[in-house]
Order: sequence, then structure tokens, then C-alpha cells
Amino acid sequence: MSQGASVPAPALAAYGLAKRFGPVVALAGVDFTVAAGRVLAVLGPNGAGKSTLLRILAGLTRPSAGHVSLGTESGRPGDRRHERGRVGYVGHATFLYPSLSARENLVFAARLYGVADPRARAATLLAEQGLTAIAERAAGSFSRGQAQRLAIARGLVHDPPVVLLDEPFTGLDPTSADRLGAGLRALADSGRAVVLVTHDLAQAAVLGDRALLLVRGRIAFDSGPTRADAGTLAAAWREAAAA
Amino acid sequence: MNVALAILWKDLATEWRGRDRVVAMAVFSFLVVVVLHFALPARDAEEARRLAPGLLWVAYIFAAILGLNRAFALELENEALAGLALAPADRGWIFLGKAAASFVILGAVQAVTAVVFALAFDVDLAAIAPSLAIVVALGSLGICAVGTLLGAVSVRTRYREVMLPLLMLPLLVPVLLAAVDATAGLLETGTLRWRSVQLLLVTDAVFWIVSFTSFEYVLDE
Amino acid sequence: MTAPGPGPSGIERLTARLRGPTGWLLLVILVPWLAAVAWAPEDSVQGVVQKILYVHPPLAFAAYLGFLLTALAGGVFRWRGDEAWDRLARSSAEVGVLFCTLVVVTGPIWARGTWGRWWSWDPRLTVTLLLWFVYLAYLLLRGFTEGSERAARFAAVYGIIGIAVIPLNYFAIELAGGRAIHPENLARGSLGAGMGLPFLLGTLASLGAFVHLVVRRVELEGLRNRLAERAGADGGRGEEFGSWDT
Repeated sequence: MSQGASVPAPALAAYGLAKRFGPVVALAGVDFTVAAGRVLAVLGPNGAGKSTLLRILAGLTRPSAGHVSLGTESGRPGDRRHERGRVGYVGHATFLYPSLSARENLVFAARLYGVADPRARAATLLAEQGLTAIAERAAGSFSRGQAQRLAIARGLVHDPPVVLLDEPFTGLDPTSADRLGAGLRALADSGRAVVLVTHDLAQAAVLGDRALLLVRGRIAFDSGPTRADAGTLAAAWREAAAA
Repeated sequence: MNVALAILWKDLATEWRGRDRVVAMAVFSFLVVVVLHFALPARDAEEARRLAPGLLWVAYIFAAILGLNRAFALELENEALAGLALAPADRGWIFLGKAAASFVILGAVQAVTAVVFALAFDVDLAAIAPSLAIVVALGSLGICAVGTLLGAVSVRTRYREVMLPLLMLPLLVPVLLAAVDATAGLLETGTLRWRSVQLLLVTDAVFWIVSFTSFEYVLDE
Repeated sequence: MTAPGPGPSGIERLTARLRGPTGWLLLVILVPWLAAVAWAPEDSVQGVVQKILYVHPPLAFAAYLGFLLTALAGGVFRWRGDEAWDRLARSSAEVGVLFCTLVVVTGPIWARGTWGRWWSWDPRLTVTLLLWFVYLAYLLLRGFTEGSERAARFAAVYGIIGIAVIPLNYFAIELAGGRAIHPENLARGSLGAGMGLPFLLGTLASLGAFVHLVVRRVELEGLRNRLAERAGADGGRGEEFGSWDT
């Protein structure tokens, strides 16, 4: 761990994020930071607010309180448009158009993000994800693993400094899952801040540089700046569930 | 602006491949014309001319509802609409792209429907074609603006196909009445009635401004 | 803990303050109003049916107020994001639809007695009817939208565009040749002798009833929220926002 005297500004910081409407409380005040080059694993049972948290970070949902800072100068609740451009979000759904080919999907996404040369960018991403051979096939005909790779390429189309992934391992066979795990590590090693939402303890322990356990919209456990092993996480989970 | 163009291209490319939206809309509006012909038979040319503007716009509005519902059904699969909302641009441009695509597709359907209508009701639309095109375009602008804003709303409700016309029709009364009045004026005198064109312009402006500025908010979750 | 709890907001304090006075106003005004209507002179041309004047326009004033309030409160909710404003918008839409229904029902009774037919496509009638449709659609939209925040946001946009359409509708109906036969506004002293008092009392009663009902509706919604919150705190049910399953 090579952290020098000057602590780098976090690439992503959440300050008191809350989301509630009427009696429904999805998030009740969540704070954390993620440095560039790190993977934060967010764990929690269904309905803990994990997806809501990620959607707020991605700029899809407005928080009721608190704000997100994306490595820009101050922690000021900045221009949402600008912030959306600094985040790559790979959600539950793939955001793909089934009748367009893989390449067309990526070119379209690149144009949405105002990427300078959409065609070249799409070609690069297709090659990175090993999809060049099937680039002209309609995305609707892709297998779950292929679609997931294409969805990740779509999330990275504007080369964002922050990458958010919501349960990316769901429905993947072991080979694809291993490949995705290595891909996530590579993303962090290339200097991006990665937030990975999962309910899989083992994945969180292996991939996360830091792990948060979210229960009922609150942080029930925080491994701090160190890695947490699966045993610690399992114990924390049991404790939170019992409380 | 680039976002709007990208979405326009995407919608038209998708439509060009399947052509399902245009075909469904056109067949439906032909059917409406035929049904109206039998439901409201015109005894002579005079009566046909009197009935024609209203009936034509009824067919147009039904076709538009079908098409606008389809425009957002496309964005529902894989939550593509959320994918659009992620774009780091003013979401008004997303509105513009979607509305423009619907306008182009509706325009194609309206053109062929007009031909079928002229034959079925024995009304000479060819003579007034250029002016009629202006009126139809102005009417469609209003319909597509309201329909795109409310399509993005209704697609995320239950009974989405039913919700769109329920929300849309009460708001479209000014567009419909002005368009019917302008069309009637064209059939009677061959010239544009400035008053109805004015109302169309004002209504279009209101709908486009409200929709453009509301889209950022509507696409939030 | 940075999330602000739903403490009593300005709206809630205001409704608490208005509940008593409007309730008493209604009780106190009811008998004098009925008496004034009974004593008011009978119209020489229209006969007794004309006395619906003391009911019909006052209901319409309240209905219009309701729709204006819906749009305004929706607009404030849109900019400020405070749920209490949304509860106000929703409540006044519901009560406004109730009043508007009464207007649309009482109008034809008068029309039948005066114009000799139940309905006329007069601009004012038609605009009111369209307004009624817009706000029925508004309530349907709220009912069919899963997730109350989404419902609130959609409704705010729809309420605003609904108000914007009213003047356009008016021009459009005039264009379509809807002849105006509805009496002009009564403000210009067109009320005959002895008609002023019952009309004034009717207007006060109608507006008082409107405000009272809206206040009770807002309170009910607040209580319902609090109850659900308490149940939620015990049961610990989790919710996610932004789910697309409708």
C-alpha cells in the first residue's frame, strides 16, 4: 500500500446521502469515500438500499439529503450534467437496444456521451471485451455473458474516472465471472475508482479493497481502509441481521 | 444537440429495420378511415367536405397515440430509457430527439393516410397539398411534443397503453380544434385561416417549451 | 444521521391552524345561508330554478381555486422537493375534482330550466368540462404510478401543463364556433336586489368547505405517512428507489 504523505483527493465521496419519500426510507445517511485505483464493495441484503445508493451516485436519482462529490474541486453539489459524465454505470439492466448490433449500440452510447470519435472508440472497446467477432450481430441475440460484456463496454464508453457496477455477476457462468473479476481489478489498476454492489460475501472479500455492509439504508459495518476477509464480513452480516 | 441527433438516428434506424411502427400505424389509420366512412356516410360532396377535416384528424390522432406508445415501449426493454437519462447532456435534448423521430414517422403515416382518405371520401386533397402539409406539420408538432413528454411518463405507470391517451387527449383539444378549423378553411376557400394557424403556433410553442424544460425532471427516478 | 425527518413543515402548521376556523365558519354560515336562499326573491323569468345561482357559481370558484392550487403546489414541490407541498397538490386536486363534479352536475339543472336543454357547448362549459377531464387524468396518473415519489413528480409536471392549457382551450373553443350563452361574470353588479347576501354567503360557504376539506385531506395524508413510518420502523421493510418494475 503506497500511500504517500499527501493523501490524494478521493475520486468519489458521498456525504450524508439519504433517500426517503413519505414513509419509505431507502437510505438514511451514508458517508464514504473511494480513492482512485480502489475497489469499494457494497454488500447488503435485498432492499438494503444498495441499488438506490448506486443510482444516486450515477446521477439517475436525486438524494433527499446529502450530496456526492466526484473528484472535482470542492464538495459543492455541482452540475449534475457534468457529474453524469464522470461516472460509468453498469446497472442491473444492460441499457442495450436489442435490434441494434453490438457496434451500433456502442457508437450510439459514445455519441450520447459526446466522445470525439465514436466509431474508433466502439472498435477499441469491442476489442477489449473480446466482442469484435460478433460486433455486427444484434445485441438481442447475445448470451447473458456476452450482453454483460457489451454492457460493461457501454459503461466505459466515455472512459470515466469512476465506475459503478450493480450486481454484475448475476447470471454469469464461472468462466465469465472470473473474467469479469479480473476485468474489475484491471479497471482499478488503471486508476479508476470502482464501486461494486453485490450480495456475495466471497466476491466482496476477494475484489474489494474496502467493504461496506448496508442494512436498512445505513452502514452497519465498514472495513475501513483495509481489506476484509469473508469470515469478518459474514460475522458482521450475522450481527446486523440479528440487531 | 448531438444527443438529439444520435437519438433521432437511433430511432429511425430501428424503425427502418423493422418498419413495424410505420406499418402498424398506417394499417390502423386506414382502418379508422374505412370505419368512419361507414359510420358517418356522406350523402354528397358537400357533406363529405364538411365532415372530412374532423375525420382526417381523428385518424391522425389515433395513429399518433399508437406510434407514441411504441416510441417508449422501445425504451423500456433493458431499461434503455435510464441509459438515455445517464447522458451528460441537458435531458431536453433527449426529448427533442425522441419527439423528432416520432414526428418523422408520424409524418410518413399521415401522408399515405391522406391519400387513402382522399379516395375514400372523394375529397380533393391534392389541390391544397402544400398548405395542408403545413397545417398537418403544425398539428403534429404539438401532438409529438405532448405525446413525447407524456409517453416518458406513461411508460412508467401501470396500464401504460391506456394511460397515454387519457393524459394526452384533454391537453390536445386546442391543437385538434385549431388543426380541424385550419383544414376546414383550406377545403372551403383554399387559403390558410390565419387565426387557427396562430393558435397552432402558440400551442406548439407552449408545449415544446414546457416539455423541453420538464424532461430533465421527468427522467429522474 | 443527516437525513432530515419529516418534521412538521410550514404546510402542516398552516393546516393545523386552519382546521378549526374553517370548520366553525361552515357550521355558523350554514343556517343563515339556507335562510337567505329561501328568502331571496324568486326570479320573475326563470322561476325557482334560478336559486341554484347561490350554489353553482360558488362551487365553480372553489373548483377553479382547487386546480390553481394543485398547479402552484406542484410547482413548489418541483423546485423545493418538500413532500408536504405534494400532499397539498394531491389533496386540492381531489377536492377540486369533487367540486368540479358538483359544478358539472348543477350546471345542467340550471341550464334545463333556463336554456331549455341540459348542455350547451358554450366555451365556459366546455373549458370546465375539459378541466375536469384533465384533473381526472391527474388523479388516475397518481393512482397508476407505483412509488409515491415518481407519482408526485409526474403529477407536478402534469398539473402545470394542465393549467397552461386552459387559456388555449378557451381560444380553441371560440375558434370552433362555440357560441357563448353562459351569463357573464356577476361581479359587475348584475345581481338583482336581495340576491347579493345569499350569493356572498354561498361563496363563503363553498370556499370554507373547500379549504376545510383540503386541510383535512392533507392531515389525513400526513397521519397515514406517520403510521406507515411506525409500521416500517418495526417491520424494517427495505425499499429501493428507481426500480423499473411497475
